Amino acid sequence: MFAALAIALYLLGLVLRNTQLVTVAVVLLSFLTWAAFRTSHADVASSGRRMDDADSDEGIQLHTISALRRVSSVRIFEDGEIDVTLRIQNRSNLSKVLEVRDRVPEVMRIKKGANYVLMELGPQRETEISYTIETPLRGFYTIGPVCIRVQDAFGLFHNEREIHLYDDFLVFPKMEDIKDAMIKSRVPKIFTGAVNIRNPGEGSNFYNLREYVPGDPMKKVNWNATARSAGKMMVNEFERDAVSDIILIVDSRSVAETGPVSRNSLVFSTRAAASLSQYFLSRRDSVGLVTYGDEIVSVDRDTGKKQLYVLLTKLAGAMAKGNTPLKVVTDRIMPHINRGSPVIIMSPLEDDPTVVNAVRDLRSRNFDVTILSPSSLEFEFDARRLDRTGYEVLKTERDILLSELRGLGANVMDWEPDMLLNTALTGARGF
Amino acid sequence: MADDNATEEGVNDTAHLYEGKTVSSAPPSRRKVAGRLKSSTEIPKDSIPEVHVPTIIESFFGGPIVNTTKFLPPDRMVASLQMGSAGALLILCILTFMVTPVSGTAWFALSNMLGWKTLGGVLHLIIILGGLIGGLYGIFQRDQWALVASYALLILVTLRFAGSKVDFGIDFLPEGEIYQKMLLLLYAVFLVMYMELTSGIIRFSMLDTSIRTGEVYVMQVTKITARYHKSLLITPVIAASVAGLTLLINLIIPAFVGIFDDVSAMRLRESVELTSVYGVALGTVMVFTVIAAMFAVNLPLRIQQMREKNA
Repeated sequence: MFAALAIALYLLGLVLRNTQLVTVAVVLLSFLTWAAFRTSHADVASSGRRMDDADSDEGIQLHTISALRRVSSVRIFEDGEIDVTLRIQNRSNLSKVLEVRDRVPEVMRIKKGANYVLMELGPQRETEISYTIETPLRGFYTIGPVCIRVQDAFGLFHNEREIHLYDDFLVFPKMEDIKDAMIKSRVPKIFTGAVNIRNPGEGSNFYNLREYVPGDPMKKVNWNATARSAGKMMVNEFERDAVSDIILIVDSRSVAETGPVSRNSLVFSTRAAASLSQYFLSRRDSVGLVTYGDEIVSVDRDTGKKQLYVLLTKLAGAMAKGNTPLKVVTDRIMPHINRGSPVIIMSPLEDDPTVVNAVRDLRSRNFDVTILSPSSLEFEFDARRLDRTGYEVLKTERDILLSELRGLGANVMDWEPDMLLNTALTGARGF
Repeated sequence: MADDNATEEGVNDTAHLYEGKTVSSAPPSRRKVAGRLKSSTEIPKDSIPEVHVPTIIESFFGGPIVNTTKFLPPDRMVASLQMGSAGALLILCILTFMVTPVSGTAWFALSNMLGWKTLGGVLHLIIILGGLIGGLYGIFQRDQWALVASYALLILVTLRFAGSKVDFGIDFLPEGEIYQKMLLLLYAVFLVMYMELTSGIIRFSMLDTSIRTGEVYVMQVTKITARYHKSLLITPVIAASVAGLTLLINLIIPAFVGIFDDVSAMRLRESVELTSVYGVALGTVMVFTVIAAMFAVNLPLRIQQMREKNA
């Protein structure tokens, strides 16, 4: 801009034959030229080569600067902290005044230290920059590149270089502790770990008595009952213990992201799914996950800690895209899951006319359906995106839909933003 | 501090993410319904991202001009820059008054037309005073628009026709060509330094604010500021020397030719073109051709390479 001003003044001075203007322009040009000269501003060289492209010029200014980064963790939960240490090394024989900026994802917040440092780095010296970032939102993230800049003293010219040093990390959805209170409910068997499925088999709980058939082990004979039954040998039957299959369905359609970036249906759904996964897996249940948006992504049922991380990784990467109807999802998964398995759907239930049919199908096949529906109306109303009248009308529409789903026998919870997951689940189960 | 506030107000940890940020758009059906209710289908204002294209003046300062920018109270560095700028501005205004005559200006012509000859001088003085007051306000309030207005006024006051021959506003100023040009050079250097110092105030205020809010960390602050101070002394001297060579080309060329031919040198000395503003233009072409050649052969890089090797 100074250059443009100088040229404009120069030309104007020549046109008006004004020595004062020309003098000012010449001084300004000289000033700029010296500043450019001091910065080794070779980007303006007539050769047309940028400094980065010129291999022969290596060792000049920024090419002698190297960086090395260490991060404290590559897998972390929401609201966690990552310590980053960046080591900057000047391999040159001259000291340099550098601006160093380690690029962190936009949603991250620097909690301690700074990722932007202005410093003088002596010849053959190195220094360390440390900072801590907070990770408020789930997802896959990258720290880097490291931007290094050398400026002239007046900030008129600069040379910049990016050191392509990247560190990826994964932020899992935050998990809420789900208490046992929910389990001690009217339907206590639904969410317990070792679920007795009311079929006789090898288990620990008594189921009933029956007559002895050849092949039954003698240890199963109930001698008291045999004595009372007039010569018939009676054996104990036990309920077959089985690990329950839990299917979590997370709505990741584009509509699920309605609302502020950190308070929307998808964020709440992923956090709920993570919490439920941890809870069920800790009770040795088998948990499967289906997310649907522009495509249906499923994680097959499995148990154990490894499964938890598989699920968390999928949830971390769930992107709000597309508009696949729930019916398509249920039609696809129903043949592959055991009848009677609990199915937990986390969806705002918006923009999907197939919801009722999908839930009806699940219920008709005796699936225990629980719907946790984060209300995006509340998110939008809180963010002042919706006026009172609009909110009331839409709320009424939503209540009607929820009532209809409850009428089909599903446990439905209208999950408001400030409600804890535990409370929402308890509400869904009718307590 | 921010955390304290967040706790006090009961805002959760991720509150900063959606405060003032554009959020994703509403689902079409809802927008449609909400739109009907408002008798309008316009998209909510907060769903349209704000794109600010810097104006020319904003680019001049290296970014958007935000008048509402709340700088923290000036630290020692900024305060000393403010004092320096104010001093430079005062000297500049005096020099401007000395080197810029009223004759040939638009307001001089206007006053002649109106038949009120003193009006031109008054207007001339008002413009200079406007530049001074605007500049002082801009310096101490750190108001970028006031600074731009001050630059504009101090440049505007030099705009006049038929100023090819050096002509001053005050009659008792030196008659000798070299002295005249030195004075002109001094005026130009102060104008440029005033611009640089005032933009330095804004830059260092921003930096200081960023440091104090923890956005930027500065290691060895004194070394960095010392480098700036050193440049403030060296750069004007270098710029003045280069500009001096350019302005005095009408003396340098005849002196050089004089080695070979006195008559030609004499003719050149008396040449109207060489003594006028076009002589300065010729000087500019010659000096800056040399400078361009230096850049063409990547001389700054070569010098840097040499310094690296010799260090």
